[in-house]
Amino acid sequence: MSTPLTGKADGMESQLEIAVTAPGAKGFHIRGDVAERLLSVFSPLLLLLLWEFLVRTGLLDARFFPAPTGIVSTFWALVSSGELFNHLSASIVRLAVGFVMGATPGLMLGLIMGLSPMIRAAISPMIAATYPIPKIAILPLIMLIFGLGEMSKYVVIAIGVFFLVLINTIAGVVNIEKIYLDVGKNFGASRKNMYFTIAFPGALPLIFAGVRLAWGVALLLIVAAEFVGAKTGIGYLIWQSWQTFSVEAMYVGLVIISILGYVSSLILDELERILIPWKSLHLSA
Amino acid sequence: MQMPAAPTETKVSIEGLQKFFRTGHTKVIALDNVNLAIPDGQFVCIVGPSGCGKTTLLRILAGLETPSDGRITVVQGDKNKPVNSMIFQEQSVFPWMTVKDNIAYGLSMRGLDSKGKDEKVDYYVKKVGLSKFAKAYPHQLSGGMKQRVSVARAFANDPEILLMDEPFAALDEQNKILLQEELLRIWEETRKTVIFITHSIDEAIVLGDRVIVMTAHPGTIKADVKVEFARPRGVYELRAQPEFGKLAYEIWGLLRDEVLKAKREEGAE
Ligand SMILES: Nc1ncnc2c1ncn2[C@@H]1O[C@H](COP(=O)(O)OP(=O)(O)OP(=O)(O)O)[C@@H](O)[C@H]1O
Ligand SMILES: [Mg+2]
Repeated sequence: MSTPLTGKADGMESQLEIAVTAPGAKGFHIRGDVAERLLSVFSPLLLLLLWEFLVRTGLLDARFFPAPTGIVSTFWALVSSGELFNHLSASIVRLAVGFVMGATPGLMLGLIMGLSPMIRAAISPMIAATYPIPKIAILPLIMLIFGLGEMSKYVVIAIGVFFLVLINTIAGVVNIEKIYLDVGKNFGASRKNMYFTIAFPGALPLIFAGVRLAWGVALLLIVAAEFVGAKTGIGYLIWQSWQTFSVEAMYVGLVIISILGYVSSLILDELERILIPWKSLHLSA
Repeated sequence: MQMPAAPTETKVSIEGLQKFFRTGHTKVIALDNVNLAIPDGQFVCIVGPSGCGKTTLLRILAGLETPSDGRITVVQGDKNKPVNSMIFQEQSVFPWMTVKDNIAYGLSMRGLDSKGKDEKVDYYVKKVGLSKFAKAYPHQLSGGMKQRVSVARAFANDPEILLMDEPFAALDEQNKILLQEELLRIWEETRKTVIFITHSIDEAIVLGDRVIVMTAHPGTIKADVKVEFARPRGVYELRAQPEFGKLAYEIWGLLRDEVLKAKREEGAE
């Protein structure tokens, strides 16, 4: 039993191994697991209780930090009026459309630039020059060009997503071991098949990392875009709450955004497991 | 070996081949004035010290490198078959494809329909002993198993010329013998032209019609030794013959100086 001994120092993944290889240790680890899970559920609840208590006793300023119960009741009011659903769906549609508009060309150009050193050399300087511009800084310009309608939101998200997907796709293709391209050539892969059977799947792990980053940036950009030029959306809800000083609704908006971020990261995890089975260790059992 | 009465067509001819690599300001000559004519259907083994340019030679024949000087002619016979398939020295199995898809790769690239493809692929999956792992991904296989996938991928592609770069070096002894016998059997059946690189003199004699001994870096051809054992051959039966030992000793004598020279050069660098 040398694996458990070396495994202990290695942390999480190896501990799972211990649970499998050493039956004696199994019970201990499951109990440890449950305790950890209970702790991670109860500690936020405790914090909320403390928050509520501090507001009610006047120790915390309710104008800035309204009581959790107040936020919950505002939340229900917004849900039952259908208002929250309208804001949420408006934001999600903008995110989805903008994401696809940016990720598709980012992916395609990235694959082409990744496989062709010439095209990479020609286009890279322009990417390097434009990438560092904060996307929020060009929001006014985008609104000037595309107006206050939906298109300006799509475009600002698309630009942010485009760069991250592009850069990660290029890196993904460039980092593919040369031997795989040799195999493709030797076994008669056409240009198209070089993309579909080697460049794309070979780069997929890094492309996916890019998609994750891009989604985070998209969430940031949609809120910013909805602050200034929208009449719907979660960003609008937060901004309007500030203007009308309805702090509870503002908190509802914040909670919704964080839930949106959390749920989408779960979906991305699942998607990664399905799309990149060769990286997943779960199938090997 | 006596030449057959009918004149055998030359499949591969290499004339005055030179290859150098430029890295920065230094020029490395990998191959220098290599001349070789390989008749159609011959099994040629190449031995030579490490770094003498064996892989480079095979990669040039595979069309993955261009010669710096000299001429290479490969005659294509059957228009429906790929001219060559290479089994690479290093790990070259696609991590993102299952064992089966990897083995089917050449056939898929040629656009074979799935019926004819499945039959061929299943046959070779079984031949290399990976039936249980047909749907597995390479990260679930051992190093030797991956190498067997790469062997099956080239065989299934059914090329006119098999280019094999130390294909069995990473295998355990038992699987090595099984695959050597399988290779001999396939060769008896199909009489493909095979160019087979190995560091094992035994392996070269067991498999080849001819063993080419290369000099230390820069690689040229030092000797061309005929192997005249009758076919079909059995791996162990052949080793039991006294002529086998004599031939192995002769080839070792040729190779020994080159290996020592290569070692000295490495030390000097
Ligand atoms: N792409 C390259 N760039 C620069 N030098 C190279 C390149 N490929 C090979 N070489 C050099 O050419 C020489 C021959 O290399 P090669 O890989 O053909 O040797 P080899 O005979 O296959 O050796 P081994 O038996 O160790 O596999 C070596 O000196 C190597 O350093
Ligand atoms: Mg080599």
